[in-house]
Amino acid sequence: MSDTNTMTLNLKIWRQASTKDKGQIVDYVLEGVSPDMSFLEMIDMLNEQLVAKNDDPIAFDHDCREGICGMCSLMINGQAHGPEKATTTCQLHMRSFKDGDTIAIEPWRARAFPVLKDLMVDRSAFDKIIEAGGFVNVNTGNAQDANSILIPKENADLAMDAAACIGCGACVASCKNASAMLFVSAKISQLALLPQGEVEADQRALSMVEKMDELGFGNCTNEAECEASCPKDISISNIARMNRGFLKAAVSAKTK
Amino acid sequence: MSSSTQSFSRSYFLSSVVKKQIMAVTGLLLCGFLLGHLAGNLLIIISPDAFNQYGHALVSNKPLLYTAEAGLIVLFLVHLCMAAKLTVENNTARPQKYYIKQKTGRGATFASSTMPYTGLIILIFLITHLNSFKYGTIYMTTIDGVEMRDLYRTVMEFFAQPLGAAWYAFAMIAMAIHVSHGFWSAFQSFGFSHSKYTPLLRKAGIAYAILVGAGFTALALYGYIQGVQA
Amino acid sequence: MSSETKQPKKLDGKVPEGDIRTKWENYKFDMKLVNPSNKRKFKVIVVGTGLAGASASATLSELGYEVEAFCISDSPRRAHSIAAQGGINAAKNYPNDGDSVWRLFYDTVKGGDFRAREANVYRLAQVSNNIIDQCAAQGVPFAREYGGTLSNRSFGGAQVSRTFYARGQTGQQLLLGAYSALMKESSKGKVKIHTRSEMVELVMVNGKARGIITRNIVTGEFTKHSADAVLLCTGGYGNVFFLSTNAMNSNGSAAWKAYKKGAYFANPCYTQIHPTCIPVHGESQSKLTLMSESLRNDGRVWVPKKEGDKRPPHEIPDEERDYYLERVYPSFGNLAPRDVSSRQAKYRVDEGKGVGKTGVAVYLDFRDAIKRDGLEAIKDRYGNLFDMYQRITDENPYEVPMRIYPAVHYTMGGLWVDYNLMTGIPGCFALGEANFSDHGANRLGASALMQGLADGYFVIPYTLGNYFVTAKPNEEKVTTDHPEFEKALADAKGRFSKLLGIGGKRSVDSFHKALGQIMWEYVGMSRTEAGLKTAIKEIQALRKEFWKDVRVTGSDAGINVELEKANRVADFIELGELMARDALTRQESCGGHFRDEMQTPDGEALRDDEKFCHAAAWEWNGDDAEPIRNIEELSFENVHLATRSYK
Repeated sequence: MSDTNTMTLNLKIWRQASTKDKGQIVDYVLEGVSPDMSFLEMIDMLNEQLVAKNDDPIAFDHDCREGICGMCSLMINGQAHGPEKATTTCQLHMRSFKDGDTIAIEPWRARAFPVLKDLMVDRSAFDKIIEAGGFVNVNTGNAQDANSILIPKENADLAMDAAACIGCGACVASCKNASAMLFVSAKISQLALLPQGEVEADQRALSMVEKMDELGFGNCTNEAECEASCPKDISISNIARMNRGFLKAAVSAKTK
Repeated sequence: MSSSTQSFSRSYFLSSVVKKQIMAVTGLLLCGFLLGHLAGNLLIIISPDAFNQYGHALVSNKPLLYTAEAGLIVLFLVHLCMAAKLTVENNTARPQKYYIKQKTGRGATFASSTMPYTGLIILIFLITHLNSFKYGTIYMTTIDGVEMRDLYRTVMEFFAQPLGAAWYAFAMIAMAIHVSHGFWSAFQSFGFSHSKYTPLLRKAGIAYAILVGAGFTALALYGYIQGVQA
Repeated sequence: MSSETKQPKKLDGKVPEGDIRTKWENYKFDMKLVNPSNKRKFKVIVVGTGLAGASASATLSELGYEVEAFCISDSPRRAHSIAAQGGINAAKNYPNDGDSVWRLFYDTVKGGDFRAREANVYRLAQVSNNIIDQCAAQGVPFAREYGGTLSNRSFGGAQVSRTFYARGQTGQQLLLGAYSALMKESSKGKVKIHTRSEMVELVMVNGKARGIITRNIVTGEFTKHSADAVLLCTGGYGNVFFLSTNAMNSNGSAAWKAYKKGAYFANPCYTQIHPTCIPVHGESQSKLTLMSESLRNDGRVWVPKKEGDKRPPHEIPDEERDYYLERVYPSFGNLAPRDVSSRQAKYRVDEGKGVGKTGVAVYLDFRDAIKRDGLEAIKDRYGNLFDMYQRITDENPYEVPMRIYPAVHYTMGGLWVDYNLMTGIPGCFALGEANFSDHGANRLGASALMQGLADGYFVIPYTLGNYFVTAKPNEEKVTTDHPEFEKALADAKGRFSKLLGIGGKRSVDSFHKALGQIMWEYVGMSRTEAGLKTAIKEIQALRKEFWKDVRVTGSDAGINVELEKANRVADFIELGELMARDALTRQESCGGHFRDEMQTPDGEALRDDEKFCHAAAWEWNGDDAEPIRNIEELSFENVHLATRSYK
């Protein structure tokens, strides 16, 4: 690699020892950053230097580093997953920045996503929402031949659009109200669009929304920052679909 | 999931979805009122008598008047209280704010991110508005032998003051901004969304905002110019 | 010490008798059943919640067992099964193009270069159809035709279209399906899910697996968990190479703990190296990204004929380009199988003909395809892949040829299991990529998802019940107060404090990278006796240095990423040595294992069916003693041994 085009960056990174700790922004200067590095490799590099100085490296969530597991997060200069459209932090490359830039890196912030350490947050609230009904109640072995239920291609495609959600939480992080509507509606939509999930659509909409509210996410104000920050381009038309599904469920649900 | 048989009322009326739908339905009805109000007010430009007769007709039918007023008050209070509740809840959903927060430029608009502020301006305006007109100076006039309030004169006197006209116009622009997001947003909250008509709804929202914004502002301007000429 | 006393064994795969076509059906009937009301009395620990783990947890819970599932991530949905792109095979024969269970079985055995257990592969092919049905019922949005039926495509050079897919995210959708089934059971309180929990020890009581010790990644707390059976669904160990397409947290530690408690590690040298990955950009590279091999349908692979030719690709005229796959394999050309294409790319780079800044890449050129079919057609076929390439490399593949290079992708080796998926330890089972059973020496495209789900949804629910009834683990009440649990807990804690106490100078990553370099150099795409011996020596030295000079910052309380990594890298180092040892003793070339000494005159893999038609199942024999090489003979009664040829 040539060293001619490496960058020096001023990093402002949120450090917080544990959930209880107050936390603060700490400044770091990082030299020799190659534009070919991914954003997370840049943090790896900083961490390697911190370890060399016997300092505590910065904790952050990451796993697949190919934009599909939904583990990586990071508010980069106030934007979820950084400035590029439809890109996860792990797929963001340092060529999106220039020499001398100041980059602020913070964890997702929401009451429902408490910080565990540094840039790592607890997103188990999303699991709890799925647990409230983000599934089809079918046990292994009950399935009929997959082609015995025909599904219009358009519906299958729309369901797939919604199912592409990686559960990273960027929607919550970027929403000024820390609302989880995009995440919740993507699952409700996916299953409501398919005949297999339609059977339980009413109860699912009621239960998942109830759980979402209970967990302390904010309300939707239809600003679409979630859609704009979503690394998988999940559309807010899913929120509309959930809203009407919920309305229908509320007036027709077969509960006592 | 099936085991949690929440009662209809609990799961429904307390949910974030319905809070938005309540905002939507009250907001849309208020939009309707606004349109009617604008149509009536435009009579000012046609003639003072037409405007006064319209005003007189409205207040003459007491049962209708009180029902309409009560309805409006309820709509407005529900919209306002729900907005306050949502704003507080949304604030508590993120107790610790970001060190830096930047918009993507692909989602939120100026209108969408200032809803609570434009809403607040409208609230203050509404109070001053009722104070200046409904409960303002009462002049009487007689048209075709019928004695009635000369609301035209009250209005024109108000608009003749530069500050009065300016405040009115400012508030109406805030109103236009508010409804430019609110109109489309209401449909989204009810789940009207389709790649075919959603763009149209968005445009309709903007058109509506321009219509009411420009309409009311035009009245203020008309009143001011009339005042200057007099 | 005990190496004199232990002799290599011949392992019994416990394959039931009878015709291969009815074996599984008959066996299902022959196996003992657990009475429905007794099922809740059995507790099962499932380690890992990817395709295999999530599907097994959900299904066992549905049957009534008490299940506890563990994953290292913040949610079961993060497992690396999620990254599989291409699809999942099934013998549905919906396209009416001549597919059948038998053909899928045949292709898989042959694709695995005759090093898989026939009976397992047949069973896999049989249940493949149930998997598609099950996933569709869960709401997995498979691609569909306009008429509403499922779409199929041909994948990985298969001659029939048997691959089902959900855009380029099939793994994601299948995992989310299994995850949703798991959450369904969790909502009923029947599965308890422990997230951010890492298994650090397997607990054995009286020769049976009876529990695990976990370390909570957030609090650093160690916990004892007892059960009647332990299922390891912990994926592969490709991260031994440091750079691979595996996720950063994928590791081999759980399997390695089982190995050290007596489970056999089978065929560790079988590594799949995928030819179409985005090449390494520099020292700071942390992982590699795979691009679908479908690109080779239209792209032409080449390098300059001249060594060290630094001209930009468009300035190199056709006569100075070496389209080497077309040259060496005139009939298969650019579609030569994964192992073959990977090796050829390595040869070109070794000859000094590699391209790009680093010189460790070859071109995959779409110039001619664009000229032939038009830009739009190519965009339509590969648009998303081209975008991904551009995002990572900042080069426009419509204008300049892609640079690609092989990368470690999948490990066919793993814990040895019998037909019941039980490892060498009674009560300890291994599912999915963690076991060795179904892919032989080479895995075909779109088969990994199939195997993970087959094991979890349709195999273990039957065989585990049989184990419970026949081995009766529940008759011996074992709680976490048992001394074996205390001992395992002390061992685990001791290991972590030892790592923290070394106080050396080198970071964990620097050891991991050093290991990766040794592995890639000597235990990579082509292996030699001398190289493997060097590798073993170097790895042993690295291991010594690691335990002397590794620096693990922080403490064992709370989140300590360095400590987690150190624990895993320590195991990777040992695992790497075993891989080299396995590669050294397997004196033949087969599938993903290529020994330079064993090749045909024209450079193709040369199997030795006389001496090596078996699985090597290594048995731990103490930290400093050589492990024992047990074998399981493989017999091919239904698909006859033959040589693969792609000329």
